[in-house]
Order: sequence, then C-alpha cells, then structure tokens
Amino acid sequence: MATTENGPGALEPRPAPPKEQRFSLNAIQELEEIASHYPERKAACLPALWIAQREYGGYLTPAAIQEVADRLGMSYAEVEGVATFYTMYNLRPRGRHHLEVCTCLTCAVMGAYDVVHELERALGIEVGGTTRDGEFTLSEVECLDYCGAATVVQVGDRYFTHVTADNVLNLIEELRQSEEYTPVKLADAIVKLHLPGSSQTGGGSRTGEQIRNNELY
Amino acid sequence: MSQFRLTQTPPSLNPPSDRMVRVKINGIEVEVPNGENIIESAKRVGVDIPYFCYHPRLSRGEAANCRMCLVDVYMPRKNPDGTETLAKMPKPQTACTLPAAQGMVIETESEQVVRDRKGILEFLLINHPLDCPICDRGGECPLQNNTIFYGPPTSRYIEEKRHFPKAYPLSEYVVFDRERCIHCARCTRFADDISGDAQLAFLKRGADMEVGTFAQTAYRSKFSGNVIELCPVGALLSRTYRFKARPWDLHTQKSICSRCSNGCNVKFDYRLEQLLRVNARVNEEVNEEWTCDRGKFGHDYVSAPDRLKTPLLKRDGEFVPISWTEALDRIVEQLRQAGSNVGGIGGQRCTNEDNFVFQKLFREVLGSNHIDSRLGRYQGPVNRPLFERFGYHGMGNRIADLENMKTLFVFGSELVDEQPIIFLRVRKAWRFKGASVVNAVTRVEEETTKVADFAEVNLIYRPGTEMALLLALAHVILHEKLLPKNASTSALAQRVGDWTPARAAAETGVAAEDIVRAAHLLVNGPMAILVGRAITEHPEFEALVEVLGDLVVATGNQGNLNIPGTECNTQGAMDMGVLPDVGPGYRPIDPPGMNTHRMLEAAASGQLPVLWIVGAKLVENYHDADLARRALENCPFVIVNELRLTETARMADLVLPAASVAEKDGTYTSCERRVQRIHKAFDISPDIKPDWLIFTEVAAMLGGTPYFSPRDILRDIAATVPMYAGISFRSLGDAGIRWEYPAGDA
Repeated sequence: MATTENGPGALEPRPAPPKEQRFSLNAIQELEEIASHYPERKAACLPALWIAQREYGGYLTPAAIQEVADRLGMSYAEVEGVATFYTMYNLRPRGRHHLEVCTCLTCAVMGAYDVVHELERALGIEVGGTTRDGEFTLSEVECLDYCGAATVVQVGDRYFTHVTADNVLNLIEELRQSEEYTPVKLADAIVKLHLPGSSQTGGGSRTGEQIRNNELY
Repeated sequence: MSQFRLTQTPPSLNPPSDRMVRVKINGIEVEVPNGENIIESAKRVGVDIPYFCYHPRLSRGEAANCRMCLVDVYMPRKNPDGTETLAKMPKPQTACTLPAAQGMVIETESEQVVRDRKGILEFLLINHPLDCPICDRGGECPLQNNTIFYGPPTSRYIEEKRHFPKAYPLSEYVVFDRERCIHCARCTRFADDISGDAQLAFLKRGADMEVGTFAQTAYRSKFSGNVIELCPVGALLSRTYRFKARPWDLHTQKSICSRCSNGCNVKFDYRLEQLLRVNARVNEEVNEEWTCDRGKFGHDYVSAPDRLKTPLLKRDGEFVPISWTEALDRIVEQLRQAGSNVGGIGGQRCTNEDNFVFQKLFREVLGSNHIDSRLGRYQGPVNRPLFERFGYHGMGNRIADLENMKTLFVFGSELVDEQPIIFLRVRKAWRFKGASVVNAVTRVEEETTKVADFAEVNLIYRPGTEMALLLALAHVILHEKLLPKNASTSALAQRVGDWTPARAAAETGVAAEDIVRAAHLLVNGPMAILVGRAITEHPEFEALVEVLGDLVVATGNQGNLNIPGTECNTQGAMDMGVLPDVGPGYRPIDPPGMNTHRMLEAAASGQLPVLWIVGAKLVENYHDADLARRALENCPFVIVNELRLTETARMADLVLPAASVAEKDGTYTSCERRVQRIHKAFDISPDIKPDWLIFTEVAAMLGGTPYFSPRDILRDIAATVPMYAGISFRSLGDAGIRWEYPAGDA
C-alpha cells in the first residue's frame, strides 16, 4: 500500500499541527471508564484511538492523535506509531461507506475479483480510491473469516455475504439510501465493546441466526 | 506544562545479582554475576559477539530486534541416573537477552551460528542502500564492520530497494537518511530513556516501518546529537560534519567540553587546523557517554573564520594589527605607569594554569589585589555563604552521587540549559532509580525536555518570591512535625515565622497544597538541593543560601546543597585565587582588593588606569551592562584577551588573540571540583598565544620568574594550593581527579 502521509514528498520538517479538543463529554466519560480497567492509562491507547476516530468523523487527524496523547499522558510520536501500525485506523478521510471486499482464497474462487471490477466500473474508482462525492471508498482486504458465505464485503460494522458481480449494484444502491456514516458507526461499535454492559467481545462466536441476518458480532 | 509524562522504568526483571555463576564461552570458563547478559560476559573473556541494537545504557537494553547476536546455548540437564549431560537449546538465542546461569555453555562460532549471522546480515542489507562511498559513517560503521567479519559475500536480493529522500533534516543538528536505517531502535530508546523528549518513534509496520517524529515535526531536543553516535549505521548524521571529512583522515585529541561547568569528557576530531566534530568520551563519573547539543555543536568558534590572529591596537578609534613585541611593550609601559593600581577581570573560561599565572602576575609582580573572576551579581566574600558553614564551595555532591538520592530539589534552575549533564543525572535518578524530584522555577518552557516533565511537584512561583516559598516549605516541615525528634531544627525554627502555606500561596502564586506536598517529599532523604541562576543572581543570595543551609541541616543532608558554577572553569578560577579576598587555595588576602563591580565603578569614574579583561564578555553579559560600557569607555587602557572581536573587545584599547580550548594544554576544574586535562590539538596561527604565556611574558619583562609550560605551572600549583597537592598531568589520567578539602579545614 502506497502511503504518502509521512513517506517521500515533503523534505522539511513541518510546523506542529494546531491542537483541538473534540472529545465530547460522553467520549471523555467513556475514555475514563476504559482507562480505569488498566493499571496504566497508556494501556487504553487502542480504544482511545477508536473514540478519537469516532469523534473526529471517521479518521484520525494529527489533532486527534495529539488529543489522545494528551488525555493519556503519552508522547505524540508514540501514539502516532500506534495509529500508523494498525490498518483499521484511518489516517485519511474515507468515504461515507468503506467497501472492503475480501479477495482471499475462498472469496476469490467465488468471484470476488468480478465484484471488485464491477465496483470499480460502477463507481469510477480504482481499488484504494474514493468517489468524488465522498460516498464510497473501495479496498481489497485479506480473509474476513467468513468463507462459508463468500464473497464477503465488509462495510463499517456489517458483513454483506453472498455478494456477486450481479447483485453488488443493489448493495451500492442500498448503501446510498442509508443515512449512516459507517466508519463512525464502526468506531462506535468497537468503543462500545470495551465498555461494561457489552456482552460481546471482538472474536465471539456467532449463531447461524446472526450469520443469516448479516450481523457482525 | 508538559503534554506527556514518561513513566519510570521498573528495575529489570532479571538484574545481575551478587551471586556468581560459572559459564563457558567458546571453551573458556569464566565466573560472572548471575543473570548478566551473555553479551557482557563474552566481553570479559574477549569473545566478540556482534550486535547493533543492544546498548548497556538504554533500558530495554534487551531490545533484541536486530537478531545479530545469536549464539548457541547448552544447559546442563540431570539424567534419571544422576549424571549430568548438556542439552542444546533447539534454536540459537540472542545473547543480549540471555541471562547467565550456572553451567551454561555458549558457542559463538558454531556452524549454525556462523550461517545464521550471514542470513541476518543479508536481511539487514536488503534495504540498505550500500552507498558507503558517500556515507559519513563509512570507515567507522558497525554495519560495515560486522558485514566484513560476519556477513555474506554477496546478496541474492535483486528487487527494488526502499527509497526515501536522502537527507531529511530531522533536527537543527541531525539529518536522517531513512534508507540506511536498520530499525535497531537505539535512537527511539535514547529519546525515551535518556533525554526524555520521546519525539522519535517507529511509525507504520513491517516493510513500511520507519523512524519518525509526530506529523513530521522537527525533533527538538537539547541532546539530539547523541543519536548520531548511537546510530550503528549512517542513518543519523551530523549536519555540521556531513561531507566534511573521512573518518580515517581525522586526528583525534582528548579534551574537556568548554561550554558549561559540568566538565564533559570529549574528543576533538580535527583535520588541517579545523575542528570538525566533537564526540563524547566515556567517563562514568561525569557524562557517562553523553554530550549535550551545546557541547557537541557549540565548538564552532574554535575554527571560526573571524578568529583573531594578531594583536590589535586602537589608534584614533580604529584597530590596527601590531606585532607581539609592540603589544607587550605597550602593556609593560602602561603597567609600569599604573603601578599597583590595575584591575583584572575574568578567567572563568581559562585553564587553571592561565588563572594561576594571571593572579600571580597581579599579586606578586604588580602588587595589586584587584582581581576577580566573578561576573555574577553576588560578589561578596567567597567563603561566606557556603564554605564557612559546610566547608566547601560550589557542589557538595559528586555528579554521580546525585543518582543515588531519594529526593532531588531543583530550585530556581532551568537545569537542562544551565547544567545539561547534571540534568541527565537527575533524570536518570528519577527514571532508573526511583527518585522523586521537586522543581521550583519561575516559568516552564514549552516544547523540549525539562525537569518539569518528570518532577513530582512543580512549584511555579512569581520571580522574587523565592524566600517566601522556601520559608513556607520549612513551615510545613516544622509544623507538621515531619522530622525525627532529634533533628537540629532550631535554626530553621527561628526563621519560618508565620509563613504558612496559605500566606506563601498568596505571595508566590503556588497552590498551598503543592507546597505541602513538596515539603513532604523533601524530608524523604537522602535529599540533595540543586540551586540555579535564579538564586545565584538573586539580590538576597546570601540569605537564601542560609535558609537552604538550615534546611539541609534540619533534614540531615549536610553537604547536599549544590551551587554549581556556570562556565567551564568557574570553580578552577576560584581555586586559583582569581578573587579579591582570597589567594590560591582560598588563603585569605589582607587587605582584599576590589571585586568586579567596584573595579568597573572605579574604571567608570576614571580612577583605574589599566583594566585587563580575560575572556569575559562584560558588555554582553554583565548584569549592569551600562556600568560595564562606561567603565570600558572611561578607563584609559583596557586590555582584552579574546578569541574573537566581541563587543567587549571592540571597546578595548589593545586586543590580544588568545588560544582556544583546542589550542592549549592545561586543566579545567569542573563544578564538582574534578580537575581534568585538556590536550592541545592544533595551532590555528603562530601569533595566537595561550593566556598563561601572555601573562608569563609580561611578568618576565617586569622582573618576575617565567614559566615554561603548563606542566611547569601545574607543578607550582600542586606545591602552592593544598587541594591540588599531588596533581600532575600524569596523575590526572583520563578520568581526572576530584579534589577534596583537606580534613579539618572546615
């Protein structure tokens, strides 16, 4: 994956980005609750970044990284190191729906690349790109652990299964109609997992009912 | 306030213990402490284990991410029949994380290890550009060296390597070549563990991983130069030294840093009379192996193009170059006319030998006691605040002792600027040894590392309210009865009065509960106090030191009050008697001469015919700059020894080109009273003379006994100054000698 944020390009150090405080009162309470689970505040870095990803509109700006570092007492560089390590943290704006098409073995056999090509054609973008209207971002991802229902497309916190080149345009239409901003919804779902009262954990088993209803978690 | 707070590092999980174990390395049996890293044990028997990421001074010294130090390990195993056999660990282990255990057998040259090292190096070189011909590190590069001795002769990698811009300016002094980086994490660990800036981190992962700063901002650190020396490849390079020389063309001379009073041991690397770079020399007692950026990059003045290279005489307001013969004749003529009515100022940046001859010229040849090295606001009797009470001047503790304190009280000092290497010790005490730090300052700078980042309590007070703050701390200690019953608190009790924390809070602007918290920490001994410029330049300096003295006495920390000097030889100039009221070795002089301020006043009113200023930037730095200016204007004959035409030198009548630290032999005495040797590296011009030579030539022309060399002078110093008895160039060695006051002197 070609990244340009810190890669080749600018040659001079940049001035420090302006600071912001965008965590809502509710977000601060969530963060404090999560931090209280650990002996050190630093340990809450990953959930704190999810909170930031939600509060900053689906991706982590430099200001978001600074706010997380300030709230946890970490250095900016360390938090940026974490945020750039994990691919699920977005460092650039994504579309309102991030289409992540599994192209791993089973899905590939079941026509995942036909889905990808159909999406590229219909949306007028290439893999990795975002539509001009900011509605869709298209990515290829590795195995989503849902091979029995190939081809799988993950959008935010939802899995769509049995997708084919023929029915994928319906999925696009369905997403266009929805009013959700799925990267934010995904971040929120993950934050909720860290809070008490959530009966689910990330890797929990799913019932056949849930699978049929296309429910993640 | 700081935005982040690095945590203290718990002691290593497997610290070497006192118990000794026997291990066998390549067939050599050796006894080592239980749990010692095998990499260190191998050094004991002269077995070379190559490594990149391991560094004994960095925590997580066991980074084990370069994988270069793989060794085969066998452990003894008991069989059912009671016999013992050696069992080989199935895979090679990293020696830097391998704790020594009884009976362990290590093989560093087995067939498998040799093959594995080749493989590791082949991997490390996959993305390394191999641009050694244009790399500053070429010739002194661990990656080059290890490849020669352990690497594969060829690479099988024919794909495209990673590409990044070649010289990314990481900080003011450091450029970064990401292509060359092998991800050893030494620089990132240095930034966390030692300097405390924590601005360097690994970004991204896998094949995309790179060292970087947050959002590509500049790496701001007062210690950034150290990462250049730590880097085991040519990824982090000096901006000033880049492309200046090849390492094998450099000459090296041992020296002492001249930029502050801490006395860091350094090496001057030079070529063709140009000082090209300054690297640290190891001295466990002083700087360990670190330097600050001021010391590492602040010696450019030595080879500056505007160095004075001939004496300059002012004629009709213009400087004209003259010969040394003429200059010396002029000086002698003026001194003869003036008799004993001459003044000498300066010497804090000269060697002990320069200073000794300086005061000897004034006292014995000219018969004047008007000589003073001090430029600060306090110019009272030198013995008054500290010596008369505790029997020492300056620092009571050794720098290395500071790391063993439980509590450190930094008072009125921007420590990282004023005493950078003491700052690193204080930070080490906090980070690795669990000390708590109380920091009292007037303001806290943003951005770079500072004591406030890790201090347990920060007392940020209004300037001028130091006394109120101090008395309130004492008030809490006394009224909450924090001290044991037998503590000698009477002196302190008399002073505190009704300075309750609440009253002091209103006066100083510090929250009352912070004062209480700080007071509770201060009684947790051993406690040492470090005093900075805000106190030494305070109008009530003596009174503050009295109270601080009472505080250390009451808390049972006699000798732990430290007032480090400012310049590289502030301490030595005082030891040599460049003071109006005492001679060499602090022998009282009667009658005392005029101090700096009174000399300037006398000169300003035209009563001092000759003023000799030695490396002192009076106009620039004296607290009463206007007085300094009037003094230089109204004094009929001002002589200035300087390296460059400073503002002060511009106002002189005669400017003499003096030798810098790199151009003379001699000794400096650091703030902890460590006498250390500087070695002459080169001559910039035949017409530049060391200060001692100027003084001794003038003295000889006036009938004094000449000295022939710094060695000659030091012999006289050792005979005259009791504290320097037994000190000679030979006895100083590389680490220097910290002198103690003769017993019973206090």
